[in-house]
Amino acid sequence: MAVRHLEVEVRREHGGAVLDLHGEINGFAQEALDAAYAEAEAQNPEAILLNFEGVDYINSTGIALIVGLLARARASKRRLLAYGLSDHYVEIFNITRLSDFVSVLPDEESALNEASAT
Amino acid sequence: MTAPRSGARRTLAELSVPSEPGNERRAMEEVGGAVSNLGLPKRTLERLKTAVAEATMNAMEHGNHYRAEVPVLIEVSASEADLSVRITDEGSGPPAFDSETPDLEAKLEGVQTPRGWGLFLIKSMVDEMNVTGDEHHHTIELILHLDGQTEGGT
Repeated sequence: MAVRHLEVEVRREHGGAVLDLHGEINGFAQEALDAAYAEAEAQNPEAILLNFEGVDYINSTGIALIVGLLARARASKRRLLAYGLSDHYVEIFNITRLSDFVSVLPDEESALNEASAT
Repeated sequence: MTAPRSGARRTLAELSVPSEPGNERRAMEEVGGAVSNLGLPKRTLERLKTAVAEATMNAMEHGNHYRAEVPVLIEVSASEADLSVRITDEGSGPPAFDSETPDLEAKLEGVQTPRGWGLFLIKSMVDEMNVTGDEHHHTIELILHLDGQTEGGT
């Protein structure tokens, strides 16, 4: 099975910057994730939204990369939100306590509403 | 292929995976296929696959040092009571796992490295995890108890 390297597109929406993630979040994803986060951060949004609808695999190294993004967001007092996670990865966000620090929403509409509301 | 009805253990698959980055995904999908006829609930299957991926990644990285020619061996077997996945590498000495329990707040404060989630995830995903080894091999055995773990079960 070939690795589906992560591709990320950044767009600006009312409420925050959205990172559309496509592929696997593993050790190969660091460069793409860091570059996309930096591009989003350059827009100086109050919130950054991670769209996981196109992600079908996250491993422990990927969890570490998300922890790194969360640390960057907290350092610059930005909110980090996530949506489009499968039930399994919502469970992993709960087990790792990522969901205590990253707002996990089911879809983009609810995530943008959440980002705009606070 | 169905789960054995007696107490006898039945081998469902024996796999060999080259130690190359990303191949944990292949391992988890092949194990998922090997147990497909057991009727595991989707949530249980997803949890098993994550545990297999993390254990295989650890074996490839720390046991076999990502030498592609050194395979990780995976044996899947089941009895009436449980499902076992044994993942073996060719490492020596004690298996390398970060034994520190991950603490997200400590990681965010830079007190712990952002990594170190593998063992925690494995233990969270299966009912039992046993680690054995000698000077030539490490084996991680993942065990799921099958009582109630059929489609429609809890």
